[in-house]
Amino acid sequence: MRVVIARCQVDYAGKLTAHLPMATRMIMVKADGSVLVHSDGGSYKPLNWMAPPCTFTESMQPGGYVEWLVESRGGDTLRVLLEEVQSDSTYELGDDPGLQKDGVEKHLQQLLAEHPATLGDGLTLVQREYPTAIGPVDLLCRVTRAAVIVVDLDEPSAADDPIPAGEPPAGHVAVEIKRKATIDAVEQLTRYLDLLNRDPLLTPVRGVLAAQSIVPQARTLAEDRGIVCALVDYDELRGLASVEDRLF
Amino acid sequence: MKFRVDRDVLADAVAWTARSIPARPGTIPQLAGILMVAGPDGLELSGFDYETSAHAQLPVEVADEGKALISGRLLADICRALPDRPVDVSMDGAKVSLTCGSSRFSMQTMPVEDYPALPELPPVVGSVDGDAFAAAVAQAVTAAGRDDMLPVLTGVKLEIEGATISLLATDRFRLSLRELDWRPEQNEFSANALVPAKVLGDTARSLTGGSALQVALAADGGGSDGLIGFSWTAGGSDRRTTTRLIDGSFPNVRQLFPATSETTAVVEVAALVEAVRRVSLVAGRNTPIRLTFSDAQVSLEAGNGEEAQASESLDAALDGEPITIGFNPTYLLDGLGAITGSHVHVAMTLPARPAAFAGMPGEDAEPDLQFRYLLMPLRMQG
Repeated sequence: MRVVIARCQVDYAGKLTAHLPMATRMIMVKADGSVLVHSDGGSYKPLNWMAPPCTFTESMQPGGYVEWLVESRGGDTLRVLLEEVQSDSTYELGDDPGLQKDGVEKHLQQLLAEHPATLGDGLTLVQREYPTAIGPVDLLCRVTRAAVIVVDLDEPSAADDPIPAGEPPAGHVAVEIKRKATIDAVEQLTRYLDLLNRDPLLTPVRGVLAAQSIVPQARTLAEDRGIVCALVDYDELRGLASVEDRLF
Repeated sequence: MKFRVDRDVLADAVAWTARSIPARPGTIPQLAGILMVAGPDGLELSGFDYETSAHAQLPVEVADEGKALISGRLLADICRALPDRPVDVSMDGAKVSLTCGSSRFSMQTMPVEDYPALPELPPVVGSVDGDAFAAAVAQAVTAAGRDDMLPVLTGVKLEIEGATISLLATDRFRLSLRELDWRPEQNEFSANALVPAKVLGDTARSLTGGSALQVALAADGGGSDGLIGFSWTAGGSDRRTTTRLIDGSFPNVRQLFPATSETTAVVEVAALVEAVRRVSLVAGRNTPIRLTFSDAQVSLEAGNGEEAQASESLDAALDGEPITIGFNPTYLLDGLGAITGSHVHVAMTLPARPAAFAGMPGEDAEPDLQFRYLLMPLRMQG
């Protein structure tokens, strides 16, 4: 990220033409090649800009001015004439983790860690973010007694279904939590289960995919691999947070 | 359309009708209107938002029959501000003109044809004294939920069994139960209805001067139609309102009242309310006010050592083991505000079990179990 504060004049030519007379502004040159010209106002919106892909050339003009020429593939040009540069700094920002619209997934993990019984009777939490060689599992729970995994929290009656015959009653459960569970989530959980089941102290480890919504293909794949899909109701779980202070 | 009407009667009826007009009519702009119909039976005013309907009939001498649909909000604002003179209303082309003393208003009308038909009042199943009903509802709605996430709990459950109506409301933190006598048309009448608490509260508030309230309920009590209606006379006009019942089953909460108690205490209500108000000033959000009942006293405490603390003691008649119990101060005040009588009877079992509150007409009287308020304690830190 290159940030330049300078007295400059900016001209855009191409699909439309626009002219910014000489004044002090902030110019951002981003790693993706985009160039944005900002004034000290107008919130997030640049006065003018060029979106990538584009080419950037810097040249000296008569009179000692530095000229930047930013050219898009379509032939549009953004021409920045720098009269006086007050500051020119470049920073390495690194990879951005991206926008987290809300912390729902994190919060779901916290809520389910507090109330593992909503995923199945007899589950107790061992650890949040249980580490494995390929990354942490959201929740690792111990099955203290013949556990009944709630297949679908929207249908509490499902809790009455016993676990399939032949399944050992004790062991552990690895829970992967998503807002929307896709095939990728199933694959991820499968890899965790593969690793966790090699640990003689943990095995057998079964998998639970807990999500607010599960795409049909993911559900099919999960069930094929013996992974239980659990639909969780975020709002209901939030209500559970203070369950001890409630009448019912 | 042309008629003359008393200013107070009109203003009162319009204000009441305007309450059931939707704040945002959305795709049906006509719903923002009040329908005025002048006919041989006088003047009728109607408001409707597809959930709740309001209909008022005013004894008015009509010179010319006719109808008009005008903005309810504007009409209510105008009527509220009118001087105390007879009001003359007439149609003037596509506008309605309203004259009162020397003030004149002219209002745009909306097409009457597009206004939806109001639901019919279901069959009347009995009647109840208006003042008693208003008092009962005011107490019952105290505990009703306000969270639209749980629509069932935003209602008041009416359990009608013979000559008694039980009103139940809960938001899962507290529960109110009020029993009310009424006069059913049939002695063996039995029905259940889950009525939006807001509509019930509005209806109760508009009851004045001891008029009787007719209760109308769709025959199977919340089946196909799921409609409840009330009709009564107030402010010089006959009123009726209908509202759609809330779908869903109300939890069986009656059994939450503990059958026995370990400790009962009797405290003067006014003094306790004052003390709770003072002490809870230092209680943060969702932090309890702690009540310790022992030695013919109740000590109130709130806050923690790090920030602010408050405490106060009151006389209390105690029966049973000493107990320390914490409550949400707002919920406690709500309950104390809802009970009637000079003293409150508090029945407790354990610090983590709900406590039942009832009013008492005097210090040595029996608790009045017509209204009971059950409050879940808050956990206390440390």
